[in-house]
Amino acid sequence: MRFRSASFGLPLALLAAGLAAQSSRSVWEGVYNSGQAARGGELYANACASCHGTALTGGESAPPLAGGDFLSNWNGLTLGDLFERIRISMPADSPGKLTREQDADVLAYILSFNQFPAGKSELVRQTEALKEIRIEPKP
Amino acid sequence: MSSKALLVFLSSVALYAQQPSTKNGEWPYYTADLKGAKYSPLDQIDASNFNKLEVAWRFKTDNLGPRPEYKLEGTPLMVKGVVYATGGTRRSVVSLDAKTGEVNWVYSLREGNRAAIAPRQLSGRGVSYWTDGKGDDRVVFVTTGYRLVALNAHTGQPVVGFARNGMVDLKEGMVTGAGRQIDLETGEAGLHSTPLVVKDVIIVGSSFKEGMTVVTHNNTKGLVRAFDARTGKLLWTFNTIPRPGEFGNDTWENGSWTTNGNTGVWTQMTVDEDLGLVYLPVESPTSDFYGGERPGNNLFAESLVCVDLRTGKRKWHYQVVHHPIWDYDLSSAPILADINVGGKPIKAVALPSKEAFLYVFDRVTGQPVWPIEERPVPQSDVPGEKTSSTQPFPTKPPAYGRQYLKIPDDLIDFTPEMRAQAKDAVARYRTGPMFLPPAIGDANMLGALTLGTAGGGTNWPGAGYDPETHIVYAQANQSALFPISLRTPPDGFSDIRYVMGRNGTDFRVSEGPGFGTAADAPRQQRRPAARAAVPPAAPAPRAPVANAGALTVQGLSIVKPPYAVISAINLDRGDLQWQVPYGETPDVVRNHPALKGRDIPNTGQGGSVGLVVTKTLVILGDSQVTTTPSHPRGAMLRAYDKATGKQVGAVWMPAPQSGSPMTYMADGKQYIVVAVSGGAYSGEYIAYALP
Repeated sequence: MRFRSASFGLPLALLAAGLAAQSSRSVWEGVYNSGQAARGGELYANACASCHGTALTGGESAPPLAGGDFLSNWNGLTLGDLFERIRISMPADSPGKLTREQDADVLAYILSFNQFPAGKSELVRQTEALKEIRIEPKP
Repeated sequence: MSSKALLVFLSSVALYAQQPSTKNGEWPYYTADLKGAKYSPLDQIDASNFNKLEVAWRFKTDNLGPRPEYKLEGTPLMVKGVVYATGGTRRSVVSLDAKTGEVNWVYSLREGNRAAIAPRQLSGRGVSYWTDGKGDDRVVFVTTGYRLVALNAHTGQPVVGFARNGMVDLKEGMVTGAGRQIDLETGEAGLHSTPLVVKDVIIVGSSFKEGMTVVTHNNTKGLVRAFDARTGKLLWTFNTIPRPGEFGNDTWENGSWTTNGNTGVWTQMTVDEDLGLVYLPVESPTSDFYGGERPGNNLFAESLVCVDLRTGKRKWHYQVVHHPIWDYDLSSAPILADINVGGKPIKAVALPSKEAFLYVFDRVTGQPVWPIEERPVPQSDVPGEKTSSTQPFPTKPPAYGRQYLKIPDDLIDFTPEMRAQAKDAVARYRTGPMFLPPAIGDANMLGALTLGTAGGGTNWPGAGYDPETHIVYAQANQSALFPISLRTPPDGFSDIRYVMGRNGTDFRVSEGPGFGTAADAPRQQRRPAARAAVPPAAPAPRAPVANAGALTVQGLSIVKPPYAVISAINLDRGDLQWQVPYGETPDVVRNHPALKGRDIPNTGQGGSVGLVVTKTLVILGDSQVTTTPSHPRGAMLRAYDKATGKQVGAVWMPAPQSGSPMTYMADGKQYIVVAVSGGAYSGEYIAYALP
């Protein structure tokens, strides 16, 4: 059953829409390139796969990084949010081990695995710039 | 009655009145009461006003450790107007004002490397409360580094008279092999759950590293211990791996009890105070998926064990999985239920499970209330593995969640194309019925595709129970696909013959959730050269063939909805009273281009969450965030009518529910507190109340 309440839903929805509108690009616009994703794949295999799985399905408690559950968790946010989460807390066995460039490479690999289109340039490593890229369902 | 007897009577009444209880609007145990019910009789918040709930206070846990925690799993207690909870990467204990959330005190123990390498990290599930009824009030909890600490509930300071300076070193007495004491600093033992406090006794379980890629099958042995709540003195120990002369030792054939470990109790226990009986839900032995080093049924692994509260002696047990190799564990607090079956009153214990069976026993005798049949199951073809020829199947109540992946019935069928793609996706796995054994996998055969094993059914948050209507309410995840593939470990990695992985592929060590994220875990120096650490012979980049083995089609799970369900299980009749999808349709389904214009009924959403049962409602929150026309991006805390399962209200949360909710009354106002975290949102306790 759908939740029905107009009491707070509308203003917050407008606010969320307003925030989203500030982000200028979408993950569907080719925001990484395949070379970066390939580097990220190697890093992923070494630093992430043990918990999140080689097929990004997640483990007993590590969340999946592909498919519906993953996208549901991140739709409406930005690559900057996802990047910061990785940067602050991952890999779990030694948070902060990877450089910003490497975190960006892993992020590119995750995007590639989820079949977001590749483009010409690489994802940058600046959180603020990544916050300009929206994670959203296919338009 | 003599005057002396009257005095004793009156003082015991006074003492009783001092004991915290849900009857006073408190929530004094992780599971509300000692019976595991998660039930509170409060009724101020009901179907008519649930939508009006507002945030009364919130407590962010970021600064309870050097970095934020994204997996806050605690359930606070509320006693005498004070909320007690754990939080943060250092597992600090906080005391908060129940009406405002203002901090009274914070306690944390700096345990250094001992915590950094602990097998159960992060903030855990919470604390327990003990009182002598005369002002000596204590909060007890287990640290990340596996110490039992007793704090003065008023000051947050360790109780000096309790053990050594207020703490018991729980690693003392933990052994490997036939009895070798583990190292107090580096030895493997920890715990997420809260101690069980009953009368003047504190009962503590044990848990260990994840059992997927173990370096040895001879790791620390599980046990359950009871301590004197006043002094911290050890009262008794129950060996979950029985020693020679103890019942069940012969179920470890070839003397394999000496060379195997694990088998702890990592979830909540329950106790019948009147009968003086404690119910222990025991987890898996080492390793989770290969049992070739431990032939036999391996008692008391994956057994419900009933022991005497005073002595710790076994009264009865029931093993729900023989020779465990599926990581079924026993995940949930057993629920004590006084039921009436066919006119006969029965003091029962009901065990929710990852299997989505609710196992129901007479809690005095251990006899199943309804027959549990031993049925033949598939046998393993893994060299050295000897699976049990049969496994127990309850005849009642029926399973309350999916127990295996039925091909093709359980595969996604939104469109014929999706069904066809799902069939292709599973073709590289072995599939079969419940108790499908793990298989040796490689790059071509990807393993045994199980569902409802490690992450299935009801997990650690457990279920709830209404003592008035005799109904159990349980959430069950029924989309948790879990491929189990075994491989030979690399030379020198382990003494076990098989670990999780696929032969011919890179070997990866699987650590447990949160491992290395403790406050004192070393933050390795950033290594720009880390890329060079990739072996030169690293396989070709995976990106181009990334979806090989993926269990999704077009971004959706290959499993058909509902992805999870909530069930009401009538314990007098042993049947399902109602079952509804849990949560609401994920965005990825609602917004899927191939489903545009289709009217898809609520699919529910995957995940395992706990719930609270009140006078009229069952309350639990979403495990995923969604953005819908009726609410902005967020997760909803939902209320369901207990009688029908109909959703009667929902309130917005900024992130998914990550800890089981609780409720209490303070100054005439009912509050609901829930832990939220996940994704980009770090841990926070949020208290809701009516305006």
